[in-house]
Amino acid sequence: MINFEEELKKFHPSLEVEEAEDAIYNQDLTDMADLLVKMIMGSGQGAAQGLEEEQ
Amino acid sequence: MIYCYNCGCHLSKPDFCTSCGADVTLYKKVMHISNMYYNEGLEKAGVRDLTGAVVSLRQSLKFNKNNLKARNLLGLVYFEMGEVVTALSEWVISKNIRPEKNIADEYIEKVRSNSTRLESINQTIKKYNRSLALCCQGSKDLAVIQLKKVLSMNPRFIRAHQLLALLYMDGEDWERAERELRKCMDIDKNNLQTMRYLKEVEAMLMPDEGVKQPAKRRKEEAIRYQSENELIIRPVNVKEPKRSGMSTLVNLAIGLIIGMAGIYFLVVPAAQSKVRNEDQQIITKISSESDTKTARIQELENQITKLQADMEALHGQIDGFVGQDGTLQSIERLLAVSAGYLESRDVFAAEAELLSIGQSVDLGAMTEGYGRLYQAVFAAIKPELATSYFTQGSNYYKIAEYAEAVSAFQKAVEYNAEDIESLFMLGEAYRMGGDTENAIATYDKVMELFPGTWRANSAKQSKSRLTGIW
Repeated sequence: MINFEEELKKFHPSLEVEEAEDAIYNQDLTDMADLLVKMIMGSGQGAAQGLEEEQ
Repeated sequence: MIYCYNCGCHLSKPDFCTSCGADVTLYKKVMHISNMYYNEGLEKAGVRDLTGAVVSLRQSLKFNKNNLKARNLLGLVYFEMGEVVTALSEWVISKNIRPEKNIADEYIEKVRSNSTRLESINQTIKKYNRSLALCCQGSKDLAVIQLKKVLSMNPRFIRAHQLLALLYMDGEDWERAERELRKCMDIDKNNLQTMRYLKEVEAMLMPDEGVKQPAKRRKEEAIRYQSENELIIRPVNVKEPKRSGMSTLVNLAIGLIIGMAGIYFLVVPAAQSKVRNEDQQIITKISSESDTKTARIQELENQITKLQADMEALHGQIDGFVGQDGTLQSIERLLAVSAGYLESRDVFAAEAELLSIGQSVDLGAMTEGYGRLYQAVFAAIKPELATSYFTQGSNYYKIAEYAEAVSAFQKAVEYNAEDIESLFMLGEAYRMGGDTENAIATYDKVMELFPGTWRANSAKQSKSRLTGIW
């Protein structure tokens, strides 16, 4: 049996046109590709530092 | 098309960049996963599984935020679900990533070009939010009215359909709830929430689903056989009733009565309902137009208030120029003083007027020319004023009116601070008037400013006479 009060909590106010700008600015756009590139760059720098230390 | 994350060159088949040599194995995999989710989202959107499409497209963007096809499609899916602002947000981000040759630009333009439509969308969203608040406050009837308005303006707004269905379910109006949920299913076929509500509604509408089973079975108990080109179905254990002429007439009469009753009970209410629906639609349309106009009136009233404020500020500025003690008035007064002085050479009258102007007008706020003219006129009359006040002071001194003498000598010193005679006589007037303290201070000033002069010696003697120290 569906509980009205509980179901009502699942509904949230919809975004209004005036709030769209904030919603766009606050959106986290970091993606998997960003993380991967950061990791690759990080490991590349680490390796370069290791080589310098060996030399 | 995949581009190298390191140098931006187009990547070909090898797992490294042919331009800079960077290892792109994992990067290519991430891009492929993003594309895979996009394809999945596209397929789901094609069969109207909009909720599933949103999930897949969001996944695609988590892997590659620059997958513009996925982002634009996600915007379209949101638009189809009635979530216009969310759709616009996705298209704006897409346009920001690629400003040229982007279909999102066209979508945004289509929405923005019709300002009435955009205003109507905003009104819809506001009404939906208001009805949600009304639900939380317990005003369910008002919420239903608002939601009906919302859906008449935006029939694809799934969340509004769901909320309306939930309200109907709460009021145990299962048929209306089912109708709303069917509409949801037409837009989005695989929405979990809709399906859950629908299951509940169907359970309430058909609690004895098992009872219908025997009828089906009975249908299967018919004998079917082919006779030439016709399929004959003969039910088992069913006998043709015997017919007589009278019974046929009675049956005909009963049929007619049932038919007329059917017309009365089914067709007339349907026609009435149709008329009511049309009226309701007209009312809804007028109400929505009224809301839009109210918003416009509010906007215009705000503009009027702002313009009135601006007008008052401008009036204030104009008064500052032409009103009592305004700029023009002050200029006129200064010119009159200058002209009067040049004509009559009456320094005291000119001084009084200039001091009056100096008190009533903020010279720093006036124009540079005004300030210069004021200072020039004052500078022109100062030497003559100093001489006149010295003469006046001397006359008072001679007739032993020391208080007036002090006042006149003070003015003489003020207008010519380098005049040793005026300063010394001020000290003398103080001394003769019995103000020893000021007299000593004035003698000190004479000795300090004009050392070695005979008046300095006189001041020293006068001071010694007062203090008794030689």
